[in-house]
Amino acid sequence: MFSSLWWRVGRFVRTSPARLFLLAGVVVAGALALSGSAAPAGTTQPMAFNHQVMVQAGVQCLFCHNDALRSPSPGMPSVGLCMGCHKTIAAERPAIKQLADYYARGEPIPWARVNYVPRFVYFSHKVHLTAGGLNCENCHGDVGHMKEVEPVARMSMGWCLDCHSKQTNAPQLRDCVICHR
Amino acid sequence: MTEKISRRDFLRLGAAGAATGVLAGCTSPRRWVVLEPFVRPPEQQVSGVATWYATTCRQCPAGCGVIVRLMNGRAVKLEGNPEHPLNRGKLCARGQAGLQMLYHPDRLSGPLLQSTRGSREFSAIDWNEGINRLFQALEKAGPAVAVFGGATMSDHLFDLFSRLLAAVDAPAPVIYDLYTELGGYRMLAQAMGQVYGRAALPAYRLAEADVVFSFGAEFLGTWTSAVRYGVEYGAFRSQPYGKRGLLVHFEPRQSSTAVTADDYVAIAPGSEGLVAGALLRIIADGNLGLPGRAESARGLAPSLDVDQAARESGIPLEALQRWARRFAEAERAVAIPGGALAGSSNGMLAARAIEALNVVSGSAPAGVNTTPPDLGLARKSLNTFADVQSLIARMRAGEVQVLLIHSTNPAYELPAAAGFLEALAQVPLVVSFGPIVDETAVWSDLILPDRSYLESFGYEVVSPDFGSPVVSSQQPVVTPVFDARATGDVLLTVARGIPAAAAAMPWGDEVDYLNQMVAGLPEAAYPASTPEEKRARFQQHGGWWPAPAAAAPALRPQPFTVTAQRAAFDGNETDYPYFLHVYPSVLLSDGRGASLPLLQGVPDPMTTIAWQSWVELHPATAGRLEIRDGDLLRVTSPHGEIVAAAYVTPGIRPDTVAIPAGQGHQDLGRYARDRGSNVVQLLGAALTDEGGGLRWNGVRVALARTGKRIATASLESKVGVTEGLGYE
Repeated sequence: MFSSLWWRVGRFVRTSPARLFLLAGVVVAGALALSGSAAPAGTTQPMAFNHQVMVQAGVQCLFCHNDALRSPSPGMPSVGLCMGCHKTIAAERPAIKQLADYYARGEPIPWARVNYVPRFVYFSHKVHLTAGGLNCENCHGDVGHMKEVEPVARMSMGWCLDCHSKQTNAPQLRDCVICHR
Repeated sequence: MTEKISRRDFLRLGAAGAATGVLAGCTSPRRWVVLEPFVRPPEQQVSGVATWYATTCRQCPAGCGVIVRLMNGRAVKLEGNPEHPLNRGKLCARGQAGLQMLYHPDRLSGPLLQSTRGSREFSAIDWNEGINRLFQALEKAGPAVAVFGGATMSDHLFDLFSRLLAAVDAPAPVIYDLYTELGGYRMLAQAMGQVYGRAALPAYRLAEADVVFSFGAEFLGTWTSAVRYGVEYGAFRSQPYGKRGLLVHFEPRQSSTAVTADDYVAIAPGSEGLVAGALLRIIADGNLGLPGRAESARGLAPSLDVDQAARESGIPLEALQRWARRFAEAERAVAIPGGALAGSSNGMLAARAIEALNVVSGSAPAGVNTTPPDLGLARKSLNTFADVQSLIARMRAGEVQVLLIHSTNPAYELPAAAGFLEALAQVPLVVSFGPIVDETAVWSDLILPDRSYLESFGYEVVSPDFGSPVVSSQQPVVTPVFDARATGDVLLTVARGIPAAAAAMPWGDEVDYLNQMVAGLPEAAYPASTPEEKRARFQQHGGWWPAPAAAAPALRPQPFTVTAQRAAFDGNETDYPYFLHVYPSVLLSDGRGASLPLLQGVPDPMTTIAWQSWVELHPATAGRLEIRDGDLLRVTSPHGEIVAAAYVTPGIRPDTVAIPAGQGHQDLGRYARDRGSNVVQLLGAALTDEGGGLRWNGVRVALARTGKRIATASLESKVGVTEGLGYE
């Protein structure tokens, strides 16, 4: 079965070499479709972390993700930053004890990634928050009402272009190299 | 499980497995990418944004400025510091390998104690115990303390060691390593002292030269400040109005500098001084060159028979005459003494003869012909091999109770005949500060690992300085990766318990010391008013250097005599038919680079061999002895023998074989150990005629096939070079 399939593929390509590119395109497109980030997280984080509680307590996004305004990367809060408050606040809760253990051992918390943009895309949080005038929830959803954070959008090229194509006063945002540098 | 799988089924299963693998590989990396935040974040870091710090490279003694790129607090790339007056933004392969020193998997993570020397059975101790042991030994030893250091030791550390020794009335530190010996640093400085009155390493300005004669100086590879010479060489070859300087290189073996020369002359080993003397004689007798040159040459030229000098050095007389005319007629002609002459019996004589050519052409090197400003900073002075012998004699006589070893590896670098290891047995406590267990640390009792240079404070007064004083600053660019402790701080801690030393070293830590020293520097090229700003700018810019100023008036050369003769070699011609030409590896230096996989893996520029030792020999020699590439040869000298693979090349004289230094380690980490052979084992411990240097270019050797053969890890194909030309 497989050998005849390979033979047919070979004949398909041999009859017109241009078909090789078509075939390669199909393979790449399939691979890219499979590598998207639309699937729900379904992750098990190493410890329970409740964004809702933090937001309700008045902690702003930028307090923990404090590089988002000045860097492409939003920054993940260091264990030391967490402990700055949790040495005293809710120190008796099991999750906070787990946090304190990480700190005492000098180990980072191995968070599972929730939102993902492929490596071949250049994405800057700083630009979107400053020049773009967006807020965190525009892309990440209402994290303040999520117990465990999940992606709200499939961060595909089409999703990016939905917004980029509407920026009529900035046509350069539709240029390929704006993201694919 | 007796059912057989047919070939077709096997292929089907294989294809299905591969398809599954491809599909699995296409799944989102979200599932396996883990985000690990810092536990305690490093200072001044923004995630995703690079931070750059300026510091000093310590892979060789030159003192180039580097800038280090940090991402998320980790050093990820080194570059040359564009602002630094020495290397001007350039960096060599050895400099690039500095990151591997920082992250080396064999770096020690704390102090070690060895109960039996040479056993390699170390037990970890904590820093308090390590420092206490050192303190107790020093307290008991009184003046019977010695420091053996290398040229890459930071100048601030040299000062702290010197102050400690002076406080207990012990002799000053001995600074010596194979790298500076193979570069002739000390010998050249002495020769410059005799010619110009200031004993310092010369810096030859090539940028504006019309003609450069290099007498074995590998200035594009390893010699003194190779990165700066690379910059100078670029300017030398592309001068204004399309002018291109002429380079002539005299050396028995074709080095990476020799291949760039317009004329490469394979002179007889040890005849550099003879060639320079003959050139002087021809200029004087032929009344050659620009006005005044012949008169100047007549005052310096040695009495010699030019015909005989040409025969002995292996250069046709006509060529010698042509070059003498070219040198004398060039407006700016420079002669560079370097390379193997430094280890020749007549090294000082040869260096003086070559420098006499510069006196004739009026091209005195920078760094030696003016008096430098007093910066108020201590700086290392290198010692001779004779000084090392004195130290060994003191050790043997039981006059050294505590020996402190930093930045040098004498157990590997010194010839066996020097008797270092035998003398070491008479020293009750040997302390090594090496970050990796090297051959010397194996014979130590206590290892107190220093930090890597990218984790350390310090400064280096640049030498040679190319005419304007430069101090390179060193600062930690990362949080220390391992639990190593700065040797400066260890010394200051120990000194607190020794009253005389405590008075001489009153600083709380080495940063206190450096702040005080830097605050005393004169005005720099960049604005800095308060002492605090001076210190901050010193680190931010990567050092201190003054604004460009008019050159100080040149010192006049002192009267000196030139004698030209050939060097002497150990071993008679019948038993040992070939001259041994030793040279520092462009990548491994004197062996210190062997611990880094990048330097091991980069192919040698001339042979393209990596990870191995080799013996370079001429195709005629190989043909006579029926040797092919890769044949393992036993190389025997009157002092020892080693085994290395043959590398047949036309770029060497038929009467000479060349072996690079650097391989043959028994220790120094996993990448260096048990790889190749150490050429130092072929050397004796004889001194040069003048200056007290090691006579490392004075040995003849014999070659014999072992009957074994290896495939050299080499990039090149030799078809059309030495193969297919009838040599086989």
